[in-house]
Amino acid sequence: MASAAAAVAATDRTAPRVRALLAAALALPGIVPAPAAAQTMPDAGFIQFKYLDYRDWQPGARRMRVENPGFYVMSPFAEAWVVEGALVYDGMSGASPMWHDTLSGASGEGIHDRRAAGDVKLTRYFDGFSVGAGVAYSHENDYISRGGSVDLRVWTADKNTTYTFSYAGAADRIDTPDGAANHERKYVNDFLVGVTQALSQTAIVQSNLTYTRGHGYFDDPYKTFDSRPDNRRVLAWLTRLNRHFPDHHGTLQLAYRYIDDSWDANSHMVEAAWVQPLPHAFSVRPNLRYYTQRAAYFYFDPPFPTGLVFGQPYTADTRLSAFGAFTLGLLLAKDFGGGWSGDLKVEYYRQKSDWRAGGNGSPDILPFSARWIQVGVGKTF
Amino acid sequence: MRRTRLAVSLALLVLLSGCASFAPPQPWEKQYLATPAMQFDADKLDVRNTQHIYYSKEGAAGGYGIGGGGCGCN
Amino acid sequence: MASDHAIVVDGVPDALADAALAAAIADVRRIEAKYSRYRDDSVTAAVNRGAGGAPVAIDAETAALLAYADQCHRLSGGRFDVTSGVLRRAWDFRRSPPRLPDGATLTGLCALVGWQEVEWNERSVRLPRSGMEIDFGGIGKEYAADRAAAILAERGVRHALVNLGGDVRALGGQADGTPWRVGVRHPRAMEAGTAIASVEIADGAVATSGDYERYIEVDGCRYCHLLDPRTGWPVRAWQSISVVAPLAVVAGSVATIAMLLADDAPDFLASQGLPWLGVDAAGEVRGTLGK
Repeated sequence: MASAAAAVAATDRTAPRVRALLAAALALPGIVPAPAAAQTMPDAGFIQFKYLDYRDWQPGARRMRVENPGFYVMSPFAEAWVVEGALVYDGMSGASPMWHDTLSGASGEGIHDRRAAGDVKLTRYFDGFSVGAGVAYSHENDYISRGGSVDLRVWTADKNTTYTFSYAGAADRIDTPDGAANHERKYVNDFLVGVTQALSQTAIVQSNLTYTRGHGYFDDPYKTFDSRPDNRRVLAWLTRLNRHFPDHHGTLQLAYRYIDDSWDANSHMVEAAWVQPLPHAFSVRPNLRYYTQRAAYFYFDPPFPTGLVFGQPYTADTRLSAFGAFTLGLLLAKDFGGGWSGDLKVEYYRQKSDWRAGGNGSPDILPFSARWIQVGVGKTF
Repeated sequence: MRRTRLAVSLALLVLLSGCASFAPPQPWEKQYLATPAMQFDADKLDVRNTQHIYYSKEGAAGGYGIGGGGCGCN
Repeated sequence: MASDHAIVVDGVPDALADAALAAAIADVRRIEAKYSRYRDDSVTAAVNRGAGGAPVAIDAETAALLAYADQCHRLSGGRFDVTSGVLRRAWDFRRSPPRLPDGATLTGLCALVGWQEVEWNERSVRLPRSGMEIDFGGIGKEYAADRAAAILAERGVRHALVNLGGDVRALGGQADGTPWRVGVRHPRAMEAGTAIASVEIADGAVATSGDYERYIEVDGCRYCHLLDPRTGWPVRAWQSISVVAPLAVVAGSVATIAMLLADDAPDFLASQGLPWLGVDAAGEVRGTLGK
C-alpha cells in the first residue's frame, strides 16, 4: 500500500522545475477552488435573519429583557464590488444597568426603549487589495449615533497574508427625556491595524490592534451621581487562532484579548470553542469564555457615597468595577442544502467580583447573570 | 508591568499553538481554510450581537472590527 | 477506446451533492466539446482549419492551455508536442490487421510536427503550415478533472474523487477520515481489478500513462500511441508510468513526458520530486511509491 497523501502535501519538496509546471497549471482558469477568504471576492450573495432573546438578572430581581431581530445582506455586483447591509432592532424593557447601591431602587423602575440601527458598506476589490467604505446610523429615544468607516485590505500574492487598516468615526448625541442630558455629544475615533496569516493548511491566525479615542459625554444620565471623565483612550489587542484537526473533523477556535484603558479598567479575555460537524450536515459548537477586569479609577465601592468628591469623576456602575465573568455557550447549526442554513445558540453568562483573576474583586457586589438565545436562518443566492 | 507580561505571554501562546508547523499552504491546499469554521467573522451578525452584549455589560470592549455604529449602552 | 468516467461525492446531503455533480459534469462535457477533434464546432477544429492561413482568435482558457502545453514542451526537451497528433494518420490503431507505417509517409508527417514553430499569444494562435494540427488530448481530460474537483469544492463538497478515464483527482479523503484508495492498473492484465499498487490519497491527483491505451501488435512487438515526435515511432522503454502530483494536469503531463523520455524517465522523475510508479518494458515495477 503506497501513501501519497504526505508526499502531495509536502510542497516544500517540490523541485523548481515542477514549480514552473505548477505555475503554468495554476494559471489555467478555475483549476483550484476559489477559497472563500476575505481577499477573494465572494461569488454569491447571502441574506440572513437572526432573532436574539436576551435576559439578565441579579439575585432577587429580574432586570432587563431585550428582543433583538436583525437582518444582514451581502451581495457582489458589477464584477468587482460587494455591498453589505445590516438592520437591527432592539426592544428593551426592564431595569436600567446595575449599580451597587440601587438594587432596591431598580425593581419596579422600568424602561421601555427601542433602538433601531442600520449600516451599509461598499467594498471594491482590486488585484492585491480591496477598499471599503461604510456608514452607520443608530437611533433610540435618548441616543443617536452617526458614523462612517473606511478600510483597506492588502494581501500577498499567495493570499496567505492579509493586512487590514481601518478607521471609523462616530458622532453621538445624547438627549434624555427628563433633561439630565441635554444636547450632549460624544465623538469616537477607532483605528484598527491587523494581520491575518495562514500558518498551514489547517491553521490560521489573526491579530488586531485597535486604538479607540473618545471625547465628550460619557456619563450615565440616569443616575444623579455619575460623572465620568470627558475622554477615554482604549487599546485593544485581539489575537485569534483557528486550527482544524482533519482526523477528528473538528476545528479549535482560540482567542485572547488584552485591553489597556485610560480609565484603568484594563481587562483580559480568553475564549475557546470547538466546532464539530455531525451527521446529516449538523454541526455543534460549544464555547467557553473568561473575562476579567480591573476597576476604573473613579469607581468606588459601596457604601454610597464613599469616594464621591464634587468636581471629581465618580461612578457606582458595577460595569466599571473589578470582576471576572464566565460565558458558557452552545451553538447548533445545520446546512439544509440549496444554500439554506440555520443556527440556534444559547449562552449563559455570569459575572462575579470573586471571579476576578488574582482576587481583589470589588466587594459587596451582587453577582450578575444573563442568558441569551439566538435563532438564525440564512440563504446564499 | 506584570499584567503586560502576562498579556504578551498569553497572546504568544495562542499564536504559537498554531505555529507547530509554519507551512503556508499552496493555492490548491486551501480547502480547509475555506470552511466557515476556519474563518474569522464568518457570521457577522452573530459577532455583532455578541460583542454588543459584552460592550453593554463589561467595562471595555473592542478588537473585533469597527464601523458598526454606536449605541447608548455606555 | 471509450474511457470510463466516474465522480464520487461523499459526506454531503443528496440535494447538495446532486447540484454540485450536475455543475461538475456540465463543465466536463463543455471542455470535451470545446476541445474535441471530432467536432467541427470545436476550438481545435477552428485552429486546425486555419493552418497555413491567418491567425485564429482564442479565448483566455485556450491561451492558458497553450501556455501549459508550452511548459510541457520545454520540460520534455521537445518530446511532448501538442502538434504531434498528425502522426495518427500514419499509425492507425484501429486497423485490423495492424500494419506498420511506411517510412516516406512518416517522414512527411514528421515535417508537420513542430510546436516551437507555432505562433501563439494570449489572443490568437497560428499553425504556420497547411496540414499542421493541434491536439489537446494530452491535457484536456486532466484539466477537466481538476476543474470538476474545484467546482465540487466551491459548492461545499469536501470529499470527492473525480476519475476521468484513469486520471484521478482526489479531494479531502473520504468523509469518514480515511484517504481515497486508487488502484494502479497492471499494464498487461486485461482483467479489471488487477492492480500493481494501491495509492492512498486524500488530496491530489494520480495519473497514468501507458502503452495499453491504444496500440497495435505486429510480430509480437507492441507499438503504442505515445509517439516520439522527432522520429514518428512509439516509445518502448515503459509499459506504464503513474505519477502523483497536487493537480491532475501536472500528474498527467509528467507521466506522459516520463513515458516519452523512455530510458531517461527515472532521472527526470527524480528531478521533479514527485512520487511515481512505473512498469518497465521487462515488466519490472520501479519507482518511489511504496518505498
